[in-house]
Amino acid sequence: MPAFLLIVITLVAFYFAYKFYSRYLAEKVYRLDPNFVTPAHAMRDGVDFVPTHKHVLLGHHFTSVAGAAPIVGPAIAVYWGWLPALTWVVLGTIFAAGVHDFGSIVVSARNRGQNIGTLSGKVVSARASTLFLLIIFFLLTLVNAVFGVVMAILFESNPGAVIPALIVIPIAVFIGQWAYRMGRSIVIPSILGLLLLYVAIPVGQAYPIYVDGLAEAVGLSVRTTWIILIFAYTWIASRLPVWVLLQPRDYINGQQLIVALVVIFLGVLIGWDTISAPAVNEVAPNSPHWFPYLFITVACGAISGFHSLVASGTTSKQLGNETEARFVGYGGALGEGALALAAILACTAGLGAAGDWNTAYADFGAASGGALGHFVNGTGHFLSNLGIPATLGATFAAVVVITFAGTTMDTGVRLQRYILEEISELAGIKSLVGRVNLLTTLAVLIPLGLALVPGGDSAGGKGFAFGRLWTLFGTTNQLTAGLALSIIGVWLLARNRNPLAALIPLVFLLFMTTWALLLNLGDFFAKGDWLLLVMDAAIFVLAAWLAVEAFTAFNRERRNPSAAAEES
Amino acid sequence: MSSTSAVGPASRGQARGRRSHQVILVREQDAQHSGSGCCGRLGERHTALGAAADFSQSRARMEQIGEIYRALAQAAPDLELVIADPRNLIWLYPAVWRAARANGSTAFSACRAMARAGAPVAVVVDGKTLYSGRLPSAQVVVDRVLAWTARPLNA
Repeated sequence: MPAFLLIVITLVAFYFAYKFYSRYLAEKVYRLDPNFVTPAHAMRDGVDFVPTHKHVLLGHHFTSVAGAAPIVGPAIAVYWGWLPALTWVVLGTIFAAGVHDFGSIVVSARNRGQNIGTLSGKVVSARASTLFLLIIFFLLTLVNAVFGVVMAILFESNPGAVIPALIVIPIAVFIGQWAYRMGRSIVIPSILGLLLLYVAIPVGQAYPIYVDGLAEAVGLSVRTTWIILIFAYTWIASRLPVWVLLQPRDYINGQQLIVALVVIFLGVLIGWDTISAPAVNEVAPNSPHWFPYLFITVACGAISGFHSLVASGTTSKQLGNETEARFVGYGGALGEGALALAAILACTAGLGAAGDWNTAYADFGAASGGALGHFVNGTGHFLSNLGIPATLGATFAAVVVITFAGTTMDTGVRLQRYILEEISELAGIKSLVGRVNLLTTLAVLIPLGLALVPGGDSAGGKGFAFGRLWTLFGTTNQLTAGLALSIIGVWLLARNRNPLAALIPLVFLLFMTTWALLLNLGDFFAKGDWLLLVMDAAIFVLAAWLAVEAFTAFNRERRNPSAAAEES
Repeated sequence: MSSTSAVGPASRGQARGRRSHQVILVREQDAQHSGSGCCGRLGERHTALGAAADFSQSRARMEQIGEIYRALAQAAPDLELVIADPRNLIWLYPAVWRAARANGSTAFSACRAMARAGAPVAVVVDGKTLYSGRLPSAQVVVDRVLAWTARPLNA
């Protein structure tokens, strides 16, 4: 089947979903009111609360929510075949992500632009805000662990990407000095920086960097050595002022995202590649079953709980008219779905003949450990359709993912620092409050331990467990989404509206998440992965807690639709 | 949240869709990153080391632009006032290009305006970037913008 056809089918599905389902949500479920005075108007201050045109807001919302995670999940999930992966991306985007992102904006806008953490305490229960804090703690731990591993895998398998990935750092530091210290425009330097980065790709190809010698000297595997180096870098990066590295690198990331999306879709159009993966793959024995694992493997790209943080933290405060929440929230979710589609195409049509695909996805270990490599090689193939050598194209794709992952880790460690401090305050552990170096070290060591312990990439015959780490990440992401959907559902019920649009994806996600967590418990126990077992058990408790909180809140509102969720 | 008070509803000119002078105030949103789907704004409670500390400089620029925004909204309610993030590639740069070309700028000038608009702070009026990178006092900016927008639109 031509890959182009998948693009057409997906975009047609998204078009009709936007036209009909999002209109149903807007008119019958959220009942958007064009006369409602949004917080952007009511509290208009030109700082946080600014009435903003829907096109401006969609641009900001989309560039904020899109990232590397919608690439990794689908790149693993095509192991079960392109059909299940694509079906979940399309249906998840339409019926779960769209409802979630759209609803998060509406509920927040109806509550003075309050963020989802505050709303969980207000709408669901006081305990739910603690639950939110704990879910985010686990989510960030897993985010940092998986992205550390992602970068290590890419550095190990694409040593040509090391120089271009490293050169981003001095470029970003220069841009930071130029823009923030000298007060200059950032556009030309960031475009020049991007060009310099692209020039560095063939240089990196010519001079690949290996750490084998270092690894041998310290007695570790290459991947473990990379993981440790990456976390050491992250510690330093997260201690720098944001304007030195994090913020200027953002500009390069934004440009890279646009370039990557354009070249992938253009490569598919020009190359007219066919899908080499089977529609439904006959997986190797002892592989995780697609039901329920598919639904937690593809988290971002089908539904991502973190979007509720952007939707309620920034977007809702800038909503000019309540009716525009549909365009921004639902439209942004569809954009994220398109990014996941690009990853599916790269891993199913970009890997060459069916034989190559079968080798790349021989078993779940190869599928998950090599997922990024498959995406990178597939994108390289699409670039070869545009006349760029495939090896250069592959390095380009590796650099895109590495820079995104680097930014994610830098931000993730900072956020974890805030969360750890908040938890210490709540727990009365004064010795941690304000201790930036100690908190940063903790924020780095916890995911580092997680990234290393299940590693065992060459030991014990267990095989690299990235897939299992990734599915744990997926469960926490789905729990965050579940919490936001609970808030939306309770809010709807409190207004005597049909909550099914939020309730069905909530129950579905909770069911799939808890089921997968239970299966994982058995798997981790059997394999003796004690750290993952403890982590899994803790997340299971959070899932059960969320189910209880959601059920109690729904029951309360069903019996007594109340002021508990009344807008201020 | 800003400590400043609200300034009332957005301009009527905007609401009616009438063509008016467009002022784009460019500034970065604090604690928000491009491609941050997995690690964006957290909206945590305020702690000593929280986002407020990390992003204090961005916050200062947001407050500075906020002051200009409020003064312009008060002085010229018919202006089309937009606040945009310089990382909003999808909207900002095409918008500056369109406005510049619509107001008679050459392609070169429009490109220059786009390049200058992408700064931690910038002020763009009808496709002309008046300030980029650093701003003088709010009053100076407001006076210059008002002087510029006192002129009739090109088309």
